[in-house]
Amino acid sequence: MKRAAWSWLIFVFSLRGQNVTYDRLIHALSEQQNWLTYWGDYSAIRHRDLRQIDTSNVKDLRVDWIYQTGQAGSFETIPLVVDGVMYLTGPNGYAYALDARSGRQLWLYKHAFPPGRKADGVNRGFAILGDRLFMVTPDANVVALDARTGRLIWQTEMAPYNNGQYTATLAPIAIKDKVIVGISGAEFGIRGFIDAYDAATGTRDWRFWTVPSKDEPGGDTWLGDSWTRGGGSTWMTGTYDPQLNTLYWGVGNPGPDLYGDTRKGDNLYTCSLVAIDPDTGKLKWHFQFTPHDTHDWDAAETPMLLDLKWKGHDRKVVVQANRNAFFYVLDRETGEFLMGKPFARQNWATELDAKGRPILMNNQEPSPDGTRLCPGLAGATNWMAPSYDPDTKLFYFAVREQCDIYYTSPPVYIQGRPYWGSVSRGVTEEPEWGLLKALDPLTGETKWDFRYFHAPWAGTLSTAGGLIFAGDQDGYFMAFEAKTGKNLWRINTGNPVVNSPITYLVKGRQYVTMSSGSAVFTFALPESR
Amino acid sequence: MKLARIAMLICCTAAARGQTEQDLADGKATFRSNCAFCHGLVGGGGRGPALNLGRFLHGSTDQDIQSVIQGGVPGTTMPSFEFEKEELANLVAYVRSLSGERSKVKARQLGGDPITGRKIYEQNGCSTCHRIGSEGSVFGPDLTRIGAGRSTEYIRESVVNPSSDIPEDYAGVTVITEDGKHVTGVRINEDTFSVQLRDSSQNFQMFQKDEVQQVIHETKSLMPAYNSLAPQELQDLLAYLDTLRGDLNAGAEVKKEKGIR
Repeated sequence: MKRAAWSWLIFVFSLRGQNVTYDRLIHALSEQQNWLTYWGDYSAIRHRDLRQIDTSNVKDLRVDWIYQTGQAGSFETIPLVVDGVMYLTGPNGYAYALDARSGRQLWLYKHAFPPGRKADGVNRGFAILGDRLFMVTPDANVVALDARTGRLIWQTEMAPYNNGQYTATLAPIAIKDKVIVGISGAEFGIRGFIDAYDAATGTRDWRFWTVPSKDEPGGDTWLGDSWTRGGGSTWMTGTYDPQLNTLYWGVGNPGPDLYGDTRKGDNLYTCSLVAIDPDTGKLKWHFQFTPHDTHDWDAAETPMLLDLKWKGHDRKVVVQANRNAFFYVLDRETGEFLMGKPFARQNWATELDAKGRPILMNNQEPSPDGTRLCPGLAGATNWMAPSYDPDTKLFYFAVREQCDIYYTSPPVYIQGRPYWGSVSRGVTEEPEWGLLKALDPLTGETKWDFRYFHAPWAGTLSTAGGLIFAGDQDGYFMAFEAKTGKNLWRINTGNPVVNSPITYLVKGRQYVTMSSGSAVFTFALPESR
Repeated sequence: MKLARIAMLICCTAAARGQTEQDLADGKATFRSNCAFCHGLVGGGGRGPALNLGRFLHGSTDQDIQSVIQGGVPGTTMPSFEFEKEELANLVAYVRSLSGERSKVKARQLGGDPITGRKIYEQNGCSTCHRIGSEGSVFGPDLTRIGAGRSTEYIRESVVNPSSDIPEDYAGVTVITEDGKHVTGVRINEDTFSVQLRDSSQNFQMFQKDEVQQVIHETKSLMPAYNSLAPQELQDLLAYLDTLRGDLNAGAEVKKEKGIR
């Protein structure tokens, strides 16, 4: 009898697993056992109320299973976990469903690249809605798969291939009946956009151009016809506030990256956060972090949505640790600038004015003979996800302390070829390093930081067990005490970690997953069998 | 008549390559941001060999130079570079243009005696840290092909003032162990939690950072400055080092299968 009831429960559970409704996505944080969106929920808080693994027992954490994809290339995915099934993408158009408890494969999908197309490239993960999974491909397609089988349901080209000019890497976000995606290719002279597709049919519902045309608002921030190749990639997933029905998306750098003379002006909406109505694709407001950027400091970093006690009053804000080395707090209803504080070495802006616009230092432009500037091209942080712990009220993120010499020269546009306007080079005699930083978002002040030997490309996760999980460039996967930054546990995975950890439950047991090399590592406490 | 023919040849060569001033300017930009750090701003050499002498170590055709850029030089610090076809052609054109008039001048005489230089090398105990062929220590940089890989000016500076440029592979680190012992060596690897050294006895020394008192990154080279050599001694030593153009892998024995017998 007891056994029958248990089987029935499992049956119901598995039915639910194949029907991830919009309502479930809105309430993703109430399903602490699951990881339902790229960010774990719509706000990107990346904190889980799971406390089985905590500061006292994390020292016993061990590898529970490993899944090898065998795929070469940077493994940048963040898996979804839905009721015991893990869905993840790999590089080069691959995707997988795994038993989240054992790591055994349930299905494998391989994107069919037409002959002559570049068939390699990174991917960062899936979105799920109903019983469908959505991913993008290196040749700029949006793909819908049957979550039960991995079979292709529909496939829609976002942009013409154009010799590899357009590409896509991000995890889509599913809102209501739509799948919303962005595009990459600002380094190749594209004009960026955000697209919404009908989840049922793959038909495009709307497109928001991140670079306005001459006659649109903001079109006057571009010299001549430079807007036609103005860049503004949208290569990282946005966040979403269901109450405000607003989608928040970080826009990439203008092109050519390091040469600004042909595109004089502020170059809207590059290096900006845009707030969009997800039903129509219409712009509600925008905030530009770095006007007329010439250092590739895009705004693709996570726009995290927090409800903070701001100067004594409840305020809905969006926070971002930007590549340009400033931590920003904006009102997410209006876009009003509330605060911006540097969090890493920078020598390009003396300060931000009352509206958040940077006041530039002298000699910060790239030059033919090279200009040394901090942060470097990869930014003071980047796409790796931060997390926020409501218990400590701290924002945890990875900082890159590295400077570059920026060169510039006028580029020539050839379709499918880099359109950078020269390059940058590390200042070799200055060692780089990294930090795991705990920052108070109310003040921008650092509560603690932990120094890494090399600048990292891995994000963070926080849990109610009082822990921060993080990775570094030397292959360590680590756990820290959230209050103090004390390193409590580590394992060397043997390859740089270039993604962000997640945690989930199966049959009441807590797991932590992070990938490295071509392997998915899942950790758990020893089980008494 | 002859002059006209030469002029025509130059004209046609230029046309065949399709070089324009803009191409050379593009090549220069690529050179400055990718090559100048080792080969000098105008190719005079430094960490890497001089590129303005009109002779190249691995062949002097455009194709030879392209191959070196694309493939790197195994066993040296010359990495491989990925450039677009046109970018590469412009870079090679610019590299060739660096030789200019100097290409016609015979390589500068060093004014030293390599045989005496070798004795100075031996008398000063250089082989207790350096290796030439199969002789000497692996503690310091291998000098088997130093004459080919580094400019004379760079080597001179490295002898009299080794701290002026410390290659990353030879950074000095001192570890103070829990019992107060100082262990100094060349850093082989280091990460957030551990450090691996090679000591002067050519042994690996490996540490977990949380098990030692301190890890000190030396700001000076582990090599002593040989600045008391007489000018002629230094010239002789440099002349000897300039002759070292061997193959780093020459000592390795490779046996090949001779087939079914």
